[in-house]
Amino acid sequence: MITAIQERFLNLMEDHKKILYKVCRSYCRNPGDRDDLAQEIIVQLWRSFAMFDERVRFSTWMYRIALNVAISFYRRESVRTRHVVPGSEHLLEATDETENPSEEVGLLYRWIEELDPLNKALVILYLDGNNYQETAAILGISETNVATKISRLKETLRQKKEVQHGTR
Amino acid sequence: MELDELKEKWVEHDRKLDQSIRLNRHLLREMYTRRAKFALGRLAAMLAAGALFMLIVIVSLGRFIALHWSTPHVSVPAMILDLAAIAALAALIAQIGLAMTIDYNQPVAEIQKRLEILRKFRIRYTQAIILTTTLTWWPIFSVVMGGVLGLGIRWILINIATGLAAPALVIWVFLKLAPRMSQQFLKELAGYNLKAASGFLTTLAEFEKDYSPQERSSIREYSPEE
Repeated sequence: MITAIQERFLNLMEDHKKILYKVCRSYCRNPGDRDDLAQEIIVQLWRSFAMFDERVRFSTWMYRIALNVAISFYRRESVRTRHVVPGSEHLLEATDETENPSEEVGLLYRWIEELDPLNKALVILYLDGNNYQETAAILGISETNVATKISRLKETLRQKKEVQHGTR
Repeated sequence: MELDELKEKWVEHDRKLDQSIRLNRHLLREMYTRRAKFALGRLAAMLAAGALFMLIVIVSLGRFIALHWSTPHVSVPAMILDLAAIAALAALIAQIGLAMTIDYNQPVAEIQKRLEILRKFRIRYTQAIILTTTLTWWPIFSVVMGGVLGLGIRWILINIATGLAAPALVIWVFLKLAPRMSQQFLKELAGYNLKAASGFLTTLAEFEKDYSPQERSSIREYSPEE
């Protein structure tokens, strides 16, 4: 029997499933690991849901928990080398088109994969349109620091592009 | 392609995700009824089991000391062991406290720092336990041989042989039955994971550090109002 609070949580998850997908996709290359990470994030979200402060935007709260769980998951080396069990039911089901996105989005995911776990979080928040104030609150660093790091990442990407063009 | 151009593609991708991903509500509902696995919860449970075991050891040794108070060659080593067990229990309680107070709804840099401190603490604890067990070999031996079994020299020789064989057997079983766990254990023992934890703490400190105005001005396109 699902209670009202459980139903509310399910609906909020449905409304914000994109955050879950993008965080899992950015931190795990392996689809099986992605499902495990999605489960860990949801379990932690559910555990913390009773303490959710309504004054804070749900997405901000969700990003904090999802990114914290994802970074910890990513750092557990053994998880990254595990094999996928095919044919099992998945928590997040995506179409082939989503799993194999356009060249530009694929390129972006590959670039995110190369970043360290903290900068991954920063780029996801930036791409998802969070402003510097929100990003700073989620990551626990200053707004100036966020702005500077974004500029640095832009510069790194530009240099990477120049190198690629130079080698062609 | 520039990051801002890629951002536009990302927004497009984001729009498509609404239609192309489906959250399995059946599995989500199941989550309420089954015991979901969670790393930090598992760690706290393991630590709690360890603490309970240590508590039993402390009480048993206390009782043993009381019974053998008049025979110092047995009660003194037992006291040393009891003190080591008390220190281990205190360390376990501190780890449980750290694990239980981690609230994931805190800024990323703050929580990751606490998790890494907990990780370092856990690795140091494992190393200390191994070292203590090695150093407390003689009191363990004295307590077991003289106090519990009341045995003489010939039995002591047999037990030395057993004592040497037992760790080899434990390592063999460990490697055979739980290779992943043993790999993790050996890495912790060798300090590999401690180095990784310290490295990540340094990365975190770098990530949190505010840039100086000179550093900021050296970065092209920097604009706080962006």
